[in-house]
Amino acid sequence: MQRAAKCALRPDLSLVFCPSSVRNCRAVNRVNGSVLCRRYSVLPPPRDKEEKAMLDSMLRVDHAGEYGANRIYAGQMAVLGRTQTGPLIQHMWDQEKIHLEKFNEILGEHRVRPTLLLPLWNIAGFALGACTALLGKEGAMACTVSVEESISEHYNSQIRTLMETDPERYTELLQIIKEFRDDEIEHHDTGLEHDAESVPGYFLLKTAIQVGCKAAIYISQRI
Amino acid sequence: MAALVRGLRAGRVLRGLGSVQGIVSPQCRNVRRGFHRATLLRLADDSKSGTSVPPPSFHEVPTAGESSSSSEPLEDGQPNTSYQDQSGEHGEDYETEEQLQVRILTSALEFVPEHGWTVEAIAAGAETLGLSSASTGMFNNGAGDLVLHFVAQCNAQLAETLAEQHNLVQLGQAESKETAEFLRDAVEMRLRMLIPYIDTWPQAMSILLLPHNIPDSLKHLSTMVDDVWYYAGDRSTDMNWYTRRAALTGIFNTTELVMVQDSSPDFEETWDFLDNRIKDVVNMANTAKQVQATGEALVQGLMGAAITLKNLTGMNQRR
Repeated sequence: MQRAAKCALRPDLSLVFCPSSVRNCRAVNRVNGSVLCRRYSVLPPPRDKEEKAMLDSMLRVDHAGEYGANRIYAGQMAVLGRTQTGPLIQHMWDQEKIHLEKFNEILGEHRVRPTLLLPLWNIAGFALGACTALLGKEGAMACTVSVEESISEHYNSQIRTLMETDPERYTELLQIIKEFRDDEIEHHDTGLEHDAESVPGYFLLKTAIQVGCKAAIYISQRI
Repeated sequence: MAALVRGLRAGRVLRGLGSVQGIVSPQCRNVRRGFHRATLLRLADDSKSGTSVPPPSFHEVPTAGESSSSSEPLEDGQPNTSYQDQSGEHGEDYETEEQLQVRILTSALEFVPEHGWTVEAIAAGAETLGLSSASTGMFNNGAGDLVLHFVAQCNAQLAETLAEQHNLVQLGQAESKETAEFLRDAVEMRLRMLIPYIDTWPQAMSILLLPHNIPDSLKHLSTMVDDVWYYAGDRSTDMNWYTRRAALTGIFNTTELVMVQDSSPDFEETWDFLDNRIKDVVNMANTAKQVQATGEALVQGLMGAAITLKNLTGMNQRR
């Protein structure tokens, strides 16, 4: 009964939250801002507890991931902001900010609990970005490559899960995740173009960062 | 992940099938369940369950020694449709066992002022529905089931009322309240639902604190607090989510404790206490905001000083 009341309210809530998404549309020069201009909710009303739990943990970890990516770019900008790579990193950071805002919206609307470890990801992300940026532009690009590879792999597995469960039910969510995954792959390719592989100890650095990302994803899904 | 969910569902179906065909021996199941039960506090159910009638077409005739354990109900509160179909007793009923339990517990609430939060109240409730008092055997947790049912019912009522109010505000037919006022009204509304049972509520609270009831009672509490904040307009996605809910949980629990020993007319002291606690939290939140603003100003000042220093030493060039 509770859920039915909430479902009945959801269209109204979307109208309440539409103003912010409209603001996003105006502020952002995106070729297909269709995702951001949606006037209805992204998720279908949950049909049982298991589905709600599954979607909750997916959105929680996605939100944590975007939050962490934001902080990584912030760390990189803090060190390399005034160099030639500054504008490039700023551009990628801006795209991550859009992703984070979208997830903030979804979490608020669908009453998903954010991960308890956000302060930890805050510090860890900033530290990772700053430390790799101290290795120079190649270090920052290597960090970007590793993180974006982890994130796009993670989004791919989520897309697979949703497609296996019920692609029609989750069309909007799938579209959002696909769009974000494409952005992350773009960042990954940009990193490679800008000499990520020429940092000394590239393989070691990449493995270490990706192990860290996997651990972070595992934990954030649960806590 | 989907495969895992499917596997779990298949497992459940198989277990249901197995019990129909008697593949899994009832004794085996009961031994397993016995282990679970051994760790739980039993509220004098053994004598009752000894007299409860097990579905005859289902179980093998139990030996005398195992009668108390094998006459336990088959399921743990989840509807098992094969059980319903096979058993002679529930053959004509289109009501699931869960719904029946809800009906019994709801009618048992009338007898709480008389019997307290006990199995006797459940038995009395069952009798008003025309069932035998031995149907308390259905409730493995005894009084705990009754208290948890009441808490869930109150929370559902609260959520419904808040949703209606929210709807009215959305439609523009009502004014939206300030957060502090909204929280105050929501907590008062929820606590007023305890008034009919306030004399026996300390007993209920102690039941909710029993180790095997704590997970459920915490779940109910956290869902209720989440509902209240959601309708108060909280859409935060950072640590505020946790701090706000923790604060409201603290306010709710302390006010509940004050309420059970309050003897003023219409619990005025309780509502005063609630007002003061909410004011405290609002003050704390404002102070936290001020501290953050001061901190930010300080950091900006330091950054300014650092940049000036870098400029002076010539370190601030574009490379």
